[in-house]
Amino acid sequence: MQTTKTSTTPLRQLALHSTTTCSSHATTYGKCILAAYTDIRKDSCKQEFEKFGQCLREAMKRKW
Amino acid sequence: MSLLRVIARHASRPWTRAFASESSPSFPSATGVYQVFDRAAKRKQRDRAASRDAGVGSRTVDYVRDEVADRMMERLLDIKRKFDTIVDLGSGPGHFSKLLEPEKTRKVLMIDSSEAMLNRDSDEEFEVELERVHADEENLLDVLPRNSQEAIVSCLSLHWVNDLPGVLVQIKEALKPDGLFLGAMFGGDTLFELRTALQLAEGDREGGISPHISPMTDTKDISNLLSRAGFTLLTVDIDEVCVGYPSMWELLEDLRDMGESNAVVGRRHFLHRDTLAAASAIYKELHGNEDGSVPATFQIIYMIGWKPSPNQPKALEPGSAQTNLKDVL
Repeated sequence: MQTTKTSTTPLRQLALHSTTTCSSHATTYGKCILAAYTDIRKDSCKQEFEKFGQCLREAMKRKW
Repeated sequence: MSLLRVIARHASRPWTRAFASESSPSFPSATGVYQVFDRAAKRKQRDRAASRDAGVGSRTVDYVRDEVADRMMERLLDIKRKFDTIVDLGSGPGHFSKLLEPEKTRKVLMIDSSEAMLNRDSDEEFEVELERVHADEENLLDVLPRNSQEAIVSCLSLHWVNDLPGVLVQIKEALKPDGLFLGAMFGGDTLFELRTALQLAEGDREGGISPHISPMTDTKDISNLLSRAGFTLLTVDIDEVCVGYPSMWELLEDLRDMGESNAVVGRRHFLHRDTLAAASAIYKELHGNEDGSVPATFQIIYMIGWKPSPNQPKALEPGSAQTNLKDVL
């Protein structure tokens, strides 16, 4: 298995930040989905994801 | 199984970047069999996977296929027979074929639809005589005459076949009477962790789901398919290979290097990065191990079937037993 942590393509950046830099926000979001997974609809965990997404955008220094 | 082809920045919207899989035609002309998989895209993915970095990445991710080839070899060794030629259908670079020994067969014929994958390890030594044929598994009878083969094996190649019943019939037709078919294929529970994580992520972020993991054959259908194709003395069993990854991202990268990216007809061309990030978070919370890694399950269905022959042992009529089983046990 190759490590993805050292490279700098945008996808690998996303991989890196979603699992390390923003891992606490990822956990909060994941737990929210876990609590609601039998009945997921659009934006079930909107607030939690917004924080996670915000963290990712800051870490990657880009908007999308 | 999906994604991970980074396409170039969209010219008119310079701030977006999509993470795309091989694009598919919206719907190809359906001739005869219902088309579930885009075979041309699959061939391209596997060619690319085998050629990328001269095959380094592809060899790194041989672990699933090598493990299954090993377990399949145990089953072949249980069959006390020496073959003249074994056909390895969908052989790839020869995960199974390279385990064959001269005591078991004189020759192996490797057939694969991806030329680059077939020839990836062409400088490696095999213990038995070897022939490589670049051909489509779906049209097996184009390369093998009817009633010509003693044994056909297939190690993890049938899950991208559109017409599985048809291919099984072709395998049976290509076999001589009392010929052996030994196969391993991915079962329906394969990658269920990734499937559920992506579904939940798409549901929450985008409000709908789309096919990212291929619909794989259900275990209980296999013995029906085999007997419908005309095989007898069936043996079907299931096994699981569970692999741990640091995170979802490494799994996706490895799947791509295996040539196992999504090739379902009508698949979405890209995944939004929000959805990907969400899936990664969900994967970890929903399925993650205590040590922080995430598991990926590969369910393997092993199958053995024989082409009928008059001098083959057959099951006796029910009620014809001479000895009561109670007396024996």
